[in-house]
Amino acid sequence: MNCTRRNFLIGGSTTLFLSGYFPKISFASMQKKNLIIISLRGGMDGLTAVPVIGDKRLKKLRKKLILEDVLNLNSDFGLHPKLEIFHKLWQKNQAGFVHATNIPYTGRSHFDGQNLMETGAHIPYKEKTGWLGRGLLASNIIGKGLAISLPMPLLLRGVPQNNNFFPSPDFVETKLIDQIYNEFKGEHNELIKSTLDTIRQRPLSMQIATDSDDRKKLALEAAKQLKDQSGPRVAVFDLDGFDTHAAQGGVDGAHADELEEVNKIVTILHENLGQAFDNTLILTLTEFGRTIKQNGGYGTEHGYGSAILMAGGLLKKSQVYTDWPGLKKKELFEGRDLNSTIDSRAVYNSAMSICFNQDPEFLRKKVFWGDELPDLSQELFKI
Amino acid sequence: MSLNFYRRVAFGLSLNEKPDKDPLNWAINQLDNIPDLLWPGTIPTEKDLRKKYGEWVYGDREVLRKKFKNDKHAYRKAKDELRIKTGERYFELNEHAIRHFQTKYSKQPVFERFWLFWGNHFAISEKDFLAEFSTGPYQREIIRPNMVKTFEEMVQSVTTSWCMIHHLDNSESFGPNSKKGMEWGETINENHARELLELHTVSPNAGYTQEDVIQLAYIMTGWAHKWDRRNLETGDIWFDQEMHQKGDKIVLGVKYKNDAKRELAKVIHDLATHPICIKFVSTKLCRHFITDEPTDEMIKPVIEAWNKSDGNLIEIHKAVITQAYKYNENTHKFHPPEIWLMQLSRMFDLNIPLSFEKMNYTFKSKPNNRQRQLSWILREIGHSPYRAKQPNGWSDLEVDWVSPELLLRRFWFASVELPMLVKSGNRSHGFILACLKNNFEDHKNMASLIDNFRFGTSDYDLGQKYGVICNLPGVLKI
Repeated sequence: MNCTRRNFLIGGSTTLFLSGYFPKISFASMQKKNLIIISLRGGMDGLTAVPVIGDKRLKKLRKKLILEDVLNLNSDFGLHPKLEIFHKLWQKNQAGFVHATNIPYTGRSHFDGQNLMETGAHIPYKEKTGWLGRGLLASNIIGKGLAISLPMPLLLRGVPQNNNFFPSPDFVETKLIDQIYNEFKGEHNELIKSTLDTIRQRPLSMQIATDSDDRKKLALEAAKQLKDQSGPRVAVFDLDGFDTHAAQGGVDGAHADELEEVNKIVTILHENLGQAFDNTLILTLTEFGRTIKQNGGYGTEHGYGSAILMAGGLLKKSQVYTDWPGLKKKELFEGRDLNSTIDSRAVYNSAMSICFNQDPEFLRKKVFWGDELPDLSQELFKI
Repeated sequence: MSLNFYRRVAFGLSLNEKPDKDPLNWAINQLDNIPDLLWPGTIPTEKDLRKKYGEWVYGDREVLRKKFKNDKHAYRKAKDELRIKTGERYFELNEHAIRHFQTKYSKQPVFERFWLFWGNHFAISEKDFLAEFSTGPYQREIIRPNMVKTFEEMVQSVTTSWCMIHHLDNSESFGPNSKKGMEWGETINENHARELLELHTVSPNAGYTQEDVIQLAYIMTGWAHKWDRRNLETGDIWFDQEMHQKGDKIVLGVKYKNDAKRELAKVIHDLATHPICIKFVSTKLCRHFITDEPTDEMIKPVIEAWNKSDGNLIEIHKAVITQAYKYNENTHKFHPPEIWLMQLSRMFDLNIPLSFEKMNYTFKSKPNNRQRQLSWILREIGHSPYRAKQPNGWSDLEVDWVSPELLLRRFWFASVELPMLVKSGNRSHGFILACLKNNFEDHKNMASLIDNFRFGTSDYDLGQKYGVICNLPGVLKI
């Protein structure tokens, strides 16, 4: 293995840390890096979020889905007007996009696709853990995952002691826990007891009731936690509703409503992470893109290639990173979908390597079974 | 024998039930026949509900999407009206009521526990509109009647049910050398074949290969829904010879001669009687009733009963219960949220589900909050039974159910929601004490933990009491 600068740094800090003489002041200067994944369920349309400019074919095939007032990114690509925060961050080199990308799945089933986007595998339902959970485990980062959902998402499974935050509809008096805590005796009650410990050690802000349908409040709390040096290093958000078979529309259509939700979450994270935003990466994840052609209901069907929306201070620069496959019929996947020329798992593997201070080659083997995934860290992220 | 046996194999005892002199016999005698469904309200047939499913998807996909292509607001409004008209928001609520009414009042609660087990072993996960229309009747009409037959018969019924075929995409699976496969350039979808091996029968322990999956998928080609323009994918299941892969197939080393629709029954016979299948399913049964990691010693008598009875589920169930009884005193089992809720409902006579009169639905407006209450609670405690995320169903392992929010939700339910479900005649402290005494040996210790509130009968006081009681280690698990 080549001794890259990053590996050298990891080696150095680990040694110091283990020797027990790690000076507190430099520990504080070694900022924690956050990785935030926003799952966009239903199939996010990359061509609506980051439309290619001036392609006559796209205009012809999507007569009723034309976007007005597209925000300008560069000479080839625009940005959906509802994704304002990405445009704002783009000016500061803190937003970027990977286009014509997807997990290597072409089956067009939501359920199989969502399973695969979380497990990172090739065969649906075969793996029972998520790539993010395995990445954390391989990097020996335990108990640092925060899911903004009630069940632990598959994506985070595979590493123990994750926290999740999705408050119940009403206030729960945690003093009830104090009253029965000592009743949990014996080895067989250890797991519950340690989970009750996690609850009791939560900051007050996580103990209050929130409307879990209010994504603003959830994002605000996540930002608070992520900002904390000893807090979580990974957070997972879940959004659905991207499956716009009908009335997908343009600037104000059904797909735009969902993009607006993404925009809202990223805006809140950006505002509230403060300095920590510089050490954060936000990436979206979806099961597939959508067909180029509009359907009879002015929506789109399940497709293949999509885009990854990225934000955060750990991005190398503002760019649309792509190996553009073109939109001519023969360039499309099965003559109907934007092709995928970048295995999106390469992006996630590289992102984990940056945020977990880990060798991408090592992660590729541990997390993705040694699949051919090029290291994109140099191209996409600050090393 | 500890009273917790009644929760290990059932839902605890209601106040008008008393512990039996012979608990093992009490439990075993409940397994020979199928108890009637007790719900006095409507119990629609699978076929009727599939028709509603068809009306809903046809109405949305073929009518509304085209009609309102330029107007997302009008589209959403029309779609909401269609939901009301077809019962898209109602039938799942009714199914939850049928299910919980059964576990609360059945005279054969042990049978009902097995019903829940098999429904989850052959799980229908959240997909399309299955939970809204089809998973409930599948539990009633496919799973339940097979519980007094053989495991093999159960697998046969499940595998050719509309619900499972739709769930695992077998209607989209074409033999590449079949007439339609060649004409349309289509090929197999392996989903159903893989899950039949992995989840329903032999499990990965059998060491099958990708080629085995493909060959089984070939055998299964042709088992599909009938399609027509009006019913779309909700037509009956039949065997479409024109989709079926021609030629012999080999699965797990056994050759199946080209024999059209008869191939499936043969391969299911071999899978369902495979020793590794028997061990896998016996282990799952012991895991559900005894402990997360059952030992070979615990499982062995179940396997023996299976072999001796040629997979008769009545005999298998009895062996499981016998083992659960034998190991009752020195094993622990954590209960997932729904079973916990069912136990609280039976032990403390909670006011769920809603009465059948109040569950009555007119298809004219959205179901009201009371009608939605039980389903809402199930969702909020993290265990909406017909909405498992994956075809492997809900986990039976403690580790999957112990997360901070999932535990907090139990505290939330017991301290905030439950008091509103206590019947007006049951608000006294004496009532709680009587229920505790009926179900727990250490009821005195439990009572001492809520003694501060012994004079309280307000919702708040009840919340303090039930919040503590329902989350004690001996209630969350046995």
